[in-house]
Amino acid sequence: MLLQLNNIYKWVNSGGQRIFLLKDINLEVEQGEFISVMGPSGSGKSTLLNVIGMLDNFDEGEYHFLEESVHTLKEKDRAKMYKEYIGFVFQSYHLLDDLTVQENLEMPLLYKKYKSPERKAMVADMLDRFNIVGKKDLFPVQLSGGQQQLVGVARALISNPKLILADEPTGNLNSKQSEEIMDLFKQLNNEGVTIIQVTHSESNAAYGSRIINLLDGRRV
Amino acid sequence: MLKNHIKIAWRSLKKQPFFTFLNTFGLAIGMAGGLLIALYLYDELTFDNMFADADRIYRIDSDIKFGGAEIKGTEVAAPMAGAMQSDFPQVEKTVRFRDRGSMLLKKSGTELNSKELNVTFADSTFFDMFGIDLLVGDSRTALTQPNTLVLTRTAAEKHFGIRDALGQNLLLNNTDTYTVTGVIDDLPKNSFLRNHTVFMAMAGYADSHEDNWGNSNYYTFIKLIPGASVKDFQSPLQGMFKKYLLPWAQDYFPGITEESFKAAGNYVRYHTIGLTDIHLNSTNRQSEMSANSSIQNVYILSFIGLFLMVLASVNFMNLSTAQSLKRAKEVGIRKTLGSNKLDLIRQFLTESGLISFISLILALIIAIVALPFFNELSGKLVSIPYSNPLFWVILLSSTIVLGLFSGSYPAFFMSRFMPVTVLKGSGENSVGGRNIRNSLVVFQFAISVFLIISTLVVFQQLKFIQSKDLGYTKDQVVLIDDTYAAGNQVQSFKEEVLKLGQVENATLSNFLPTPSSRSNGSYFREGAMNQENAIQLEVWDVDHDYMATLDMKLVTGRNFDRQFTTDSTAVIINEATLAVLGVGPQEALGMRLSQDIEQERPEFYTVIGVVKNFHYESLRENIGALGLFLNNTTGNMAIRLKAGDFSNTIANVERIWNEVAPGQPFSYSFMDESFNTTYEAEQRLGKIFMVFTILSILIACLGLFGLAAFNAQKRTKEIGIRKVLGASVGQITFGLSSDFLKLVALAILISLPIGWFVMNKWLEDFTYRIEIGWWVFVLATLLAVSIAIITVSYQSIKAAMANPVKSLRTE
Repeated sequence: MLLQLNNIYKWVNSGGQRIFLLKDINLEVEQGEFISVMGPSGSGKSTLLNVIGMLDNFDEGEYHFLEESVHTLKEKDRAKMYKEYIGFVFQSYHLLDDLTVQENLEMPLLYKKYKSPERKAMVADMLDRFNIVGKKDLFPVQLSGGQQQLVGVARALISNPKLILADEPTGNLNSKQSEEIMDLFKQLNNEGVTIIQVTHSESNAAYGSRIINLLDGRRV
Repeated sequence: MLKNHIKIAWRSLKKQPFFTFLNTFGLAIGMAGGLLIALYLYDELTFDNMFADADRIYRIDSDIKFGGAEIKGTEVAAPMAGAMQSDFPQVEKTVRFRDRGSMLLKKSGTELNSKELNVTFADSTFFDMFGIDLLVGDSRTALTQPNTLVLTRTAAEKHFGIRDALGQNLLLNNTDTYTVTGVIDDLPKNSFLRNHTVFMAMAGYADSHEDNWGNSNYYTFIKLIPGASVKDFQSPLQGMFKKYLLPWAQDYFPGITEESFKAAGNYVRYHTIGLTDIHLNSTNRQSEMSANSSIQNVYILSFIGLFLMVLASVNFMNLSTAQSLKRAKEVGIRKTLGSNKLDLIRQFLTESGLISFISLILALIIAIVALPFFNELSGKLVSIPYSNPLFWVILLSSTIVLGLFSGSYPAFFMSRFMPVTVLKGSGENSVGGRNIRNSLVVFQFAISVFLIISTLVVFQQLKFIQSKDLGYTKDQVVLIDDTYAAGNQVQSFKEEVLKLGQVENATLSNFLPTPSSRSNGSYFREGAMNQENAIQLEVWDVDHDYMATLDMKLVTGRNFDRQFTTDSTAVIINEATLAVLGVGPQEALGMRLSQDIEQERPEFYTVIGVVKNFHYESLRENIGALGLFLNNTTGNMAIRLKAGDFSNTIANVERIWNEVAPGQPFSYSFMDESFNTTYEAEQRLGKIFMVFTILSILIACLGLFGLAAFNAQKRTKEIGIRKVLGASVGQITFGLSSDFLKLVALAILISLPIGWFVMNKWLEDFTYRIEIGWWVFVLATLLAVSIAIITVSYQSIKAAMANPVKSLRTE
């Protein structure tokens, strides 16, 4: 078991009313799964992903990640956990504009205090694996959307996370580019990486092994 | 990691050249200003430090009240030094100076005189006391013999080479011959001796050997033995009065006792002041060896320097946090990729450190370029001590401190961003700090407005001083200095000058109503010839034309008249004397005054007129009692000219001078100019205020400009929507600008009362001063508001003019 959510609630108070963003979510994820979260806009997909990624808090319920009780952890320790085990992929890539492809890939390693030769090796490895060695000195603006997302995925993978969280990773891409990214995810999943993706597209959801549907913060 | 930090810092700076420029330029101006002020302050604070054992050298000052006059002096009686040397074992050495003012020097056998402005008698211990080495000559014997003197390098080179100097004879004021026994280097610019060029042996000055405790004319310095405390002999020092002065006085004032002396409200008190304290902490004392500054100026300048740095720093914070919108995404990404808060803080601090160093280089360039102007402004001769490693250490470390200080708020502010909120990308709401940015703008403008008010008040007061009715007319009056050099030819010089067509009148006198050292004496009115009723009267020797030339007005009575031979024993008193005598103008006429107390046949001076009060000291002082006496004096000449070409007339006067006094230097000045030098300190202060006001406004404007640009950028979408909905360019411009104007208005509200309060305090120093008018505040407000409008409106109009289709599409 990789992670387990028990009776997760998240709400905001607005005008004296409590509006639920997540309501009684229960979820178990095994290692090696490829899960697609689906639902209409505002159904709480991204919120759920953020909760799983420990970027966001929840108000009630329990969250266990690798036998650790996330809901009892302090902010700092939670940050430590997600840094260690989780890689993020964003819809709008979120590469740092001022860094080259190579440097963008290197950044997570800097925060994990890898030594310079180690970093160099890991970055070179990743460039190789994603076939973007020729682009390593380019800046994000010089790349197409698909290529940027490719770098985004590579960056998420570089520190060997247990889990990849992808929030509409193909939302800004055309159909051909998005097919390439989804193929990549499939391949990674086959290599053993656990993936949770949020998507609007039925066809993308089909790449996954399991689909979770959300509506108004509830699983349906 | 650091390399990465620097790399990304450099790139993000390069990417935003406009903000980087505003940031570095603003900071550089602040740093350059701070650097110049620091150099100035260093110079002020290290005055007289270069002398050997400066920390053990003290000057003896005296506070004397006698005969209705209080004198806080820097000099004591001639025998004081000897008495201290013999009475106090702590005293290792003493040295005395007796200033002689300016003198004319001429090498024997030549005709041309050179004028030295500051000549003094000095004891032979002088060199040993201050650790001054002789370039030529022997310091042990140099000033031991009468009629010997030591010159500074500059003074010596006017007459002969330094190597040939020893044994040369110099004629002083065309009368006394002195032999050169040594040459010293020019004295340091930041020492109390900086103006002195000629030191004559005290040995040849008879007065210095006499046991005369009555005249305080000797600057007396003592050096304590190591380890001795100056506090230990404060009370024995007070005892000098009873031990020496009183017995001496009893010869002249029989029956005087300590009790009767004190009962009449008199006192004599002695103080010590450390050599290094003289420049800044010896204020309001008469006749310093060279003009002092005051610790107050040091404080004012420190504050201005600090203000400037804080302003620049605030600017930096403002611009950096304003940019945080752009950096928010980066913070979010870095955090999700595993950066913690500390890493981010370090990164942002690296960035501000980098900006500080770029600013430092820029600041150094600005400071080097501005140094000559600054020196002119401050009247100093400071330079950048390139070769001093300590300077660089302090400079670099203060740059780091400034960088950390400026960078700290933005760093903590931005590192707090939560990735979820900032990565959602809605932007505007995610970036807070608006209140803080606003208060920083208020702070900056409050300081600027305060400085504007100060500048206006200082200049207004200066103008007031310059146009005040002084009781005489200083315009169109030329002063010829040192007319005594013409000897007995002075009268014929005056007569020749009077023949010139453009000359209205001319007078010879020893004192003019411009500040200088003066002499006063105790006078007694007939019928009250005792100590208790002494009147301290300034004694001015003038001739018949004095009042006419200077356009002084009589309240009653008459001027000196050539038809009355008895006028040689007449006196014209001023209105202030009436108050001391306690009589009205009419009663005073015919009153008889004398100096000769306790004598059989005192010599009396009859009051023949009362002159309207005229200002002769700076307007900071009150007008004291003063008497004009008719006397043949040759000190200096004042010439009133008719309107017209002055230079031609002055050339004619010089021609006449060269005929009657060949070889003697001719120097003249305009009275209104020498009047203005009295207020040099205030004028400096005014100019310094003005310059730093401009700088602080400039910095504040840079900040406001950057913020306006940021604001317009942030509201691009809003502006687009408003325009689509029908808002005009004018409305949008107004909307954008009014946000900032509200802040400026608040700043003005804060600084007006502070400015009023502080400047009133400053004005209290002046006996004659302006009231701060309401228009000062109106003008300051208008200035600040219009500067703000100009700064903000460019950005606002630009944003308002933009095509809404474009701005909405890009969002």
